[in-house]
Amino acid sequence: MKTIFRSMLITSLRDPITLFYSILFPIGLLIGLGLYFDSPDYQFRLLTGVLALSTLFWGVSGIAFQVHQQRNRGVYKLLRLTPFPAISFILTMTLVRTLLGLMINAIVFVTGVLVFDIEAELTTILLLLLNLAAGTLCMTAFGFFISNLARNEGQINMISNLFYIPMVFGTDMFYSLQGAPHWLKTAGQCFPLGYLVKGLRASFTGWAKTLPNIAIVAAYIVLFLLIALFTFRWEAEQKLLSSPKRRTA
Amino acid sequence: MTHQAKMLVQANRLSKMYGSRTVVNHVDIQVKASEIVAIIGPNGAGKSTLIDMILGLRRPDEGQIEFWRKDYLSYVGVQLQATPFFPGLSAYENLRLFAALYKKKLDRQRGLELLRLCGLEDAANTEASKLSGGQQKRLAIAIATVHEPELVFLDEPTAALDPRARREIHEVIDRLASSGKSVVFTSHDMEEVHKLADKVIMIDKGRIIAEGTPVQLCEQYGVDHLEELYLNLTAKEAVIR
Repeated sequence: MKTIFRSMLITSLRDPITLFYSILFPIGLLIGLGLYFDSPDYQFRLLTGVLALSTLFWGVSGIAFQVHQQRNRGVYKLLRLTPFPAISFILTMTLVRTLLGLMINAIVFVTGVLVFDIEAELTTILLLLLNLAAGTLCMTAFGFFISNLARNEGQINMISNLFYIPMVFGTDMFYSLQGAPHWLKTAGQCFPLGYLVKGLRASFTGWAKTLPNIAIVAAYIVLFLLIALFTFRWEAEQKLLSSPKRRTA
Repeated sequence: MTHQAKMLVQANRLSKMYGSRTVVNHVDIQVKASEIVAIIGPNGAGKSTLIDMILGLRRPDEGQIEFWRKDYLSYVGVQLQATPFFPGLSAYENLRLFAALYKKKLDRQRGLELLRLCGLEDAANTEASKLSGGQQKRLAIAIATVHEPELVFLDEPTAALDPRARREIHEVIDRLASSGKSVVFTSHDMEEVHKLADKVIMIDKGRIIAEGTPVQLCEQYGVDHLEELYLNLTAKEAVIR
């Protein structure tokens, strides 16, 4: 298990494009916008928003491309011919990516704290970690689902955008939605990103307001995991919702 | 081959249909210990579906398959037509990962030795996806044998390779055979089949149309080369249909 965990860690860390979108892009966005809008209130909104955005990119796009690549290369087909349970492999991969997601967000958070002089107590850090772990798991499960829907890499982008747009624009991640149309707010509430953002902000106020948001994200984790498992394709040519049944020895 | 040779795989009357099309039609296959079996046939003849059924990747519509042991997955190695390597990992790292998936610990010395046997000693630290076609096939074979299996399936191991790379793969298969492993491979290269196989199973349109040792088959059908037999039998089948 240690070797598998370590190998998954290496394969994720050697993916420069995903690392760019998950580390450099959020940090650039954080510093660029934070220095331009020089207001402590906005810098706080920006920090939590960027943490959520980084979680979204890392969780959804990162895993969707990785799973798609591995499936197309026949990795999962070969995996079914080893005694190692495929479900354990997928869970290991999810755990590795969650751990890496937390490390990436720690870098983004520390950057925000240092650049904008934001104060965070130990409880806040603990709650942020809980939120981010739940958010990464949730987005990773969602990424699995997108990789199951997509037939090629172009489709991953298109399908991701289909969900990213209502999630990002329907959530008050970077700007207030007070004057926004009702349907946009409703669209945003259908997805977990808004609850992740609320949870991240509430982390600075204590447990009471944070836990309900974590609970909602946890419910989304269960939902997305079930959908991801139900729609999982072992082989590139396998049709959605059809399972190549294995003969028992 | 003696009568006492252990039977590793016994598949009886395997059939598979895709829609109304019969892809594999009542095929029987036996693989004994230390035997090199070649499955040959035109594209679309049903070879890959047959192998997928034997391996358990597809469920047969009809027929039974028996392996010599219940935990056979730990003792079977497979090289698929695609080269399934993990992105970002070197040849050695891929080998080590697959060893772990087969629940085997692979130290660096043993890993490098295995790579050397497959002619990849200089490529251990190269990212697997950046290896040449021939090197990738050899790495796939190294991965298929990393857990010391008793039976190895190789699906078109020499397809689209240049003569030198083909020869290197032949040497790898020869080494597997001389170490007592059973090998089942598919191929379109009749010279290769003649040279390597103890038993040839020729398939066309989902049915076995000829079976025996290369020498037996040539004698039985009065031909000098397997290729001639292949062309005759598959052409006759086409006329009959």
